[in-house]
Amino acid sequence: MLTIIIRSILIYLIVLLVFRLMGKRQLGQMQPFELVLTLIIADLATIPMAEVSVPVLHGIVPLLTLVVLHFVLTLISRSSQFISKIISGKPVIIVNPKGIDYQAMKKLNLSTDDIFEALRGSGYFSISQVQYAIMETNGKVSVMPKADFSPVTNGDLNTNAEDSYLPIVLVSEGRTLKDNMALAGLSEQEVKSIITQNSEGSKSIKDVLLLTIDKTGEAYLQMKKGAGKSFQSKRLVQE
Amino acid sequence: MKAFHYINFILILLVLIGICIAEDLVVSSSLKEVQARCYEIEALLADKDDLKNMDITLAIDNLEFIWTEDEASMCFLVNHKNIQEIGQEIAKLKLYIPANDIDAFKVSLEEIKFYCHSYLHFMGANLHNVL
Repeated sequence: MLTIIIRSILIYLIVLLVFRLMGKRQLGQMQPFELVLTLIIADLATIPMAEVSVPVLHGIVPLLTLVVLHFVLTLISRSSQFISKIISGKPVIIVNPKGIDYQAMKKLNLSTDDIFEALRGSGYFSISQVQYAIMETNGKVSVMPKADFSPVTNGDLNTNAEDSYLPIVLVSEGRTLKDNMALAGLSEQEVKSIITQNSEGSKSIKDVLLLTIDKTGEAYLQMKKGAGKSFQSKRLVQE
Repeated sequence: MKAFHYINFILILLVLIGICIAEDLVVSSSLKEVQARCYEIEALLADKDDLKNMDITLAIDNLEFIWTEDEASMCFLVNHKNIQEIGQEIAKLKLYIPANDIDAFKVSLEEIKFYCHSYLHFMGANLHNVL
C-alpha cells in the first residue's frame, strides 16, 4: 500500500508539472487538441498509480511525450495559419445582421437552444439585440450587440474618466506579499503604518484579511474581524 | 520565458531519448544473456543423461543469479508481469534437478528461451508492435 501512496504522490507531481508546462488555460478556454491531451493525461496517470507491476516510467514516458507533442503542435499552429485552422478550427459567425446563419448552425451541430443559451450567457436575451455572434475555436461565443443595445462607455459620454489601475495585494490573510510590496515600492514599515493609521481595532498584520493598493493610492483594508473600508493612501511611485 | 520553454522541451526530449536507449540496452542485453546461458545449459545437458551433476547445478545457480540481478533493473522499464515467467521457470529448473526430471527440465528451458525471444521481439519499435 505504501508503494501505491508513493507512486500516487510521484505521478501527481509529474501531472502537475505537465500541466504547468502546458500553460495556464482553463478547461473552457482549451483548443480541441488541448482538451484531447488533457483527457488522455488524466487516463494515463491512473494506470501506474494503482497497478504496482507497471513501472512508473510507463506513466511518465507517455506524459512527457504528450508535453513534447503539445509543444510541437502549439509551435506549428503559431507558425502556420493553415495548420492552425486544421488543428484548432476557425471562428464561425453564427449570428449576423440578417439573423441566425442556419448553414453555420448545422455545420457546428448546434441547435437554436444552444445559440440562445450562449447569448443569454453573454447578457443578451433576444436575438434582435445581437449584431454578430461568433463561435470561437475554444467553444465560447463572443457577442457584438447592435448599437442600440451596446452599453454606454465613458468615451461615449466624454467624461474624461481616469484610467483605473490593477490593485496590488500587499497583505493577504495575515501574510505580507514581499514581491507585491517591492512592485508597489513600499517597505514593510510603510505597510504597517498604513494598517496602523486606518485600522480601528487590531494594528497587527496577522489580523489583516486583505490590504490592496493601486497606483493612484486608492487602498482597501479589511481586518479578519470587521468590515472592509476604502481610503486614499499615498500615490505609488512605481506601477 | 520563451527560452525557458525551449530548454524544457529539449530537456524532456533528451530524457525520453535516454529512457528509450536505456530500455533497449538493459532489456536486450539482459534477455540475450539469459538466452545465451540457456544454450550453454542445453549444451551441457546434451553430454549427460543425469541432471544431478555439479556442472548443471552451477549453471542453473549462475542463471538464477544473473536473472535476479537483471530483473531488478528491468523492473524500472518493463511491466513486471511480462517477465515474471522467466523467474518462475528458473525456479522450476532448480526443482527438476533433485527429481532428475529431464523432460520437464528441457520444457522449462525451452520456455525460458521462448519468453526471452518473444519479449525481445515485443520490445523493439517495429511496425507490428506500433500497430
